[in-house]
Amino acid sequence: MWRKSKPYLLLLPAAAAIILLFFGGIFDGLLKSFGYFPAIGQTELNLAAYDRLLSSDAFWKSLTLTLRIAALSSLLSAIIGALVAIALFFLNDAMKTTSPKVWHRLFQLPLTIPHLVTGYIIVLLFMQSGFVSRILAAIGWIDDIADFPVLVNDTFGWGIIFTYAWKEAPFVALMLYPVLSRIHGSWREVSRVFGAGNWQFIREVVMPVMMPAWMVATFIIFVFTFSAFEVPYLLGVTYPSVLPVYSYQLYTSGTLADRPEALAVNMILAAITILLGLVAYYFSKRWNVLKGWG
Amino acid sequence: MNDLRIINMEKRYKSAQPREENSFMLRPVRLAIREGEFFSLLGPSGCGKTTLLKLVAGLLEADGGEVWVGDENLTNVPPESRRFAMVFQQSLLFPHKTIEDNVAFGLKMQKVGKPQRLKAARGMLEHVGLSGFGSRFPDELSGGQQQRVALARALVANPRVLLMDEPFSALDPGLRVEMRELLSRIQKEFRVTVLFVTHDRDEAFALSDRIAVMGDGKLQQVGSARELYECPETTTVASFLGLRNILGGVIENGHFASTDQLIEAAVNRPLANGDYFMIIRPEALKTTESDQSGHVRIQGIVQEMKYSRGMYSLKVKAGHQFMECVLTISQAEKVAVGEPIDLFVDTKEVWFIKK
Repeated sequence: MWRKSKPYLLLLPAAAAIILLFFGGIFDGLLKSFGYFPAIGQTELNLAAYDRLLSSDAFWKSLTLTLRIAALSSLLSAIIGALVAIALFFLNDAMKTTSPKVWHRLFQLPLTIPHLVTGYIIVLLFMQSGFVSRILAAIGWIDDIADFPVLVNDTFGWGIIFTYAWKEAPFVALMLYPVLSRIHGSWREVSRVFGAGNWQFIREVVMPVMMPAWMVATFIIFVFTFSAFEVPYLLGVTYPSVLPVYSYQLYTSGTLADRPEALAVNMILAAITILLGLVAYYFSKRWNVLKGWG
Repeated sequence: MNDLRIINMEKRYKSAQPREENSFMLRPVRLAIREGEFFSLLGPSGCGKTTLLKLVAGLLEADGGEVWVGDENLTNVPPESRRFAMVFQQSLLFPHKTIEDNVAFGLKMQKVGKPQRLKAARGMLEHVGLSGFGSRFPDELSGGQQQRVALARALVANPRVLLMDEPFSALDPGLRVEMRELLSRIQKEFRVTVLFVTHDRDEAFALSDRIAVMGDGKLQQVGSARELYECPETTTVASFLGLRNILGGVIENGHFASTDQLIEAAVNRPLANGDYFMIIRPEALKTTESDQSGHVRIQGIVQEMKYSRGMYSLKVKAGHQFMECVLTISQAEKVAVGEPIDLFVDTKEVWFIKK
């Protein structure tokens, strides 16, 4: 009995801390989003916060922005990441003698840099008084740094999208490369003998083989960018802001009465994230039944 | 006629160490394979037969020479446009495609419409005895079945030449024989030109119209199985084909005498005087002979007896030479290891190779 339960008991302190902080936090947030807030004398449960939120223009704008940024970021990362992975795959094929390791390392580099740092790099590079703008002005491509398009802290969210693309494309490539490296070298020969050129080989063999991992990676990025805070906080505008930032703004607005709304935003975020997670899980399970990889 | 002609194809591999020049080399090969012929390249591992096959397919770039089919020069045509097909040692089916889609792959690349190519694929699967397997995935099939699918995939696009690189060597012996029969039947049915690479003599003999024996990166001899076995041109070919009774000696005025004085015999063919090797097939050696005229007697001591498939293989020491012979069970009953034995060979059945 003792031997069986020992590992669990040893894990208990850590598990308790996690459960208490994570689920406790969520539960506390959930309660408060339902209006249970003894600090300001409210002990009744109601849906008023959700009601106010769903009928506010700011919320819907924020949700649209969040979805757009998440979708564009994950799409861009997915495309760039796939291109990088395929390029590395063919590079590996072509450079049998000289090691393509340097290239692999180069594309792994962004993975080691935190999102916040990346955000700052994008700010420094792409704001109107930034590095790129000044260089372009200096070489005479643009007359004045003010002619440089607003890419950082813009209402569309290009700065955020660039940051995520730069950060997540290598993640996609990293997810895809091992899958691609399972492609049998002789399959290229087989497909050539049977009449497939490079492009047909990519379409018939490379793409279907990497599709499941690709979709899963894209889903992960989508869910992450959908609920991430620091990059949009740094690179976004005050209005409209993405949902996590919107929630933060509500929470720190100064009146305690806004807090249930702020937490309702978080609950909605969590619900959508869980939903997307379930969708991703469902598809990854379906795709993992792909035959023949035994 | 759409004969496949290989004209002076050669390939040099640079060795890893720059000091050594050309660690391996395929010397210029010249071959003409008739349309509908089953032609085998037979040779030990590393003799260059797979290299030659890949040169013909265009998967390797030749350092010289040309490939023609009929009056079309394919030397500079990329492999995907040659309309060849290939079966490899492993089946190399695409695991993410169903069996049907795998078989139809070549047709898809040729832009054949989906209903037509799937119909053709099903038809071909029926020919290889796998009808009803179309919607499965490759990993649901056994090794032999997968190789049949590979064969169907190769044949369905009606290739000008079917290249086969030791396609059955990964299968167990029983299955190999079954696959040989299937291939032989299908090849005759479709009249497809086959260039078949193997290191297995029995396989080459069982299947081929003609065989080219390769060794050390060059063609040693081309001929039918019987020509090669009964009239090898070099001792390399002879020993690769399992003819190990090779006696060095001299022919003078129509009379052969082996160097170790084991055999002296009249030569019943007009051969110039000189140094020769006498080749005696194991089957040509017999223990008894009622009519001993025209026969040579070899005396020796039995060193070894091995039973295999209804016959006994014997190793006999005669002088300093070991001789191999094959005896029926009744002949072998009178023989024992360590006992002396008399072997007879008809002088008409021996073969001479000039040194």
